[in-house]
Amino acid sequence: MSAPQINISDVASLARLTLTPDETAKFSAQLSQILGHMETLSQIATGAVPEVTPPAQPALRQDIPTPSLSIEAALSNAPAQANDLILVPRILE
Amino acid sequence: MSLAYETIATLRRRLLSKEIHPRDILKDLFTQIDAREKTLHAYTYLHRESALAAAEKADLSLPLGGIPIALKDNLNALGDPCTCASKILEGYKAPYDATAVSLLRQAGSILLGRTNMDEFAMGSSTENSALGLTRNPWDPTRIPGGSSGGSAAAVAGRIALAALGSDTGGSIRQPAALCGCVGLKPTYGRVSRYGLVAFASSLDQIGPLTRTVEDSALLLSVLAGHDPRDNTTDLRPPEKFLTQKNGSVQGLRVGLPKEYFLPGMDSETESAIRSAADWFKKNGATLVDVSLPHTPTAIAVYYILATAEASANLARFDGVRYGRRATDARDVLDLYHRTRSEGFGAEVKRRIILGTFVLSQGYADAYYRQAQKVRALLRQDFEKAFTQCDLLLTPTSPEPAFPLGERTQDPLKMYLADVFTISTNLAGNGAISLPCGFTKSNLPIGLQLIGPRFGEETILRGAHAFEQAHDFFQRLPPS
Repeated sequence: MSAPQINISDVASLARLTLTPDETAKFSAQLSQILGHMETLSQIATGAVPEVTPPAQPALRQDIPTPSLSIEAALSNAPAQANDLILVPRILE
Repeated sequence: MSLAYETIATLRRRLLSKEIHPRDILKDLFTQIDAREKTLHAYTYLHRESALAAAEKADLSLPLGGIPIALKDNLNALGDPCTCASKILEGYKAPYDATAVSLLRQAGSILLGRTNMDEFAMGSSTENSALGLTRNPWDPTRIPGGSSGGSAAAVAGRIALAALGSDTGGSIRQPAALCGCVGLKPTYGRVSRYGLVAFASSLDQIGPLTRTVEDSALLLSVLAGHDPRDNTTDLRPPEKFLTQKNGSVQGLRVGLPKEYFLPGMDSETESAIRSAADWFKKNGATLVDVSLPHTPTAIAVYYILATAEASANLARFDGVRYGRRATDARDVLDLYHRTRSEGFGAEVKRRIILGTFVLSQGYADAYYRQAQKVRALLRQDFEKAFTQCDLLLTPTSPEPAFPLGERTQDPLKMYLADVFTISTNLAGNGAISLPCGFTKSNLPIGLQLIGPRFGEETILRGAHAFEQAHDFFQRLPPS
């Protein structure tokens, strides 16, 4: 595994970020240095090693409804709302 | 002497004997804050009026009755801001309490304020805060460490008795070491993360920053326990820690991992850590040479897994439900892009991009999956080492606090500052940092004691014995 060239703008777009030309240049250089450091991992033999998985759930709770946030509390931080709904810009033409 | 210089344990005794009132503690803390906060900038928010009101009705019969405590600004507390030191959470007010916060309230403590941090806990210096940097109380030209740098600077600077922090790769222990206070990262699963703004969910853990090990144990006793709202919390019954303090380390097997004593490491740090190991030996402990052979891979494993998890966790900040929303967006996709690009700082963007990349098609096997496998090997290292010893003794940080601005343009060099703390998060074990010396230029040096999983009692006993045999914890930063 040699450090790959990242197309920063493509990856940023997947992460819903738009970078300035300055950010693109700076992050490209920094990330290729960081990925270069990560190359050390490819030298570790891990053939039969299982991946770490999340810890086993110690207990599943009973499926009983319990009180949760009120509509008012849940909407208290919404940047725009109407009729107990959050408003967003149009998603369909 | 100002009550701001006392420990929680002492103040609790004085409160119970009616010698002092909770308002006296707050008065002295606010006097100190007025004198020092302008220089340190440890806080992002202070509860002056509500804290004084709470002090008047404090229930002293509770374990932390009347004791003010500060919170890192990534813990939700009902009605308060929770900025994560990010522009993207401007204007947000928490609609609920984190479990750790509600446990503190139930134990009678008073919320004093919210402390500065690296944005979304991403950093080792608290320079990545959108709300301004925090300074080290021992030398204001230097960083306090991070990401819980505000919590550490507040406790060490005697403008908080104790503060909660969060530790994903060393964010409690490293600032505690660099500021000269006690920082405990509990075992993964010991303390509920419900209401902590998630950075890397398989690594994050909440813990206390305090002046003494005894205060750390007091807070852990309140915070630990199963929470139905965080199913990664362990089911074991609640425990009270450090109830017996005999100060002995007789018979303790203390492991020295050879990978933590690197050629070329800071000589004053190495000498302080070797002296600490000698103290354990002189007092009846056995020193054991152990190896954690996968340590050199830990930085790479950590920065793959933590950024991968962060890229998913931070997808929720999109301008739709809370926080900042960009104006004049053409459509929803444009809203996401603009909100996130305007709201996140450089380090957060860098990590989201790295995390998105290591999870992307064609690269996930080589990076993310390989890192998960090497993480399994790192865990095995710890399990094997703890068949030979009861505690591991290491430096917390390879060097004391570095000057402000020194590493802001070199993220890889900044990441390497975490070399001695991140393996513990990857393995899930608990660990503490406590002061074990000072450099010639009067900067604190931190000793790390790592325990087996759920071995906090052993960690706290060893740390308490060492602390009480030295005067490091009593030294005060210049005022």
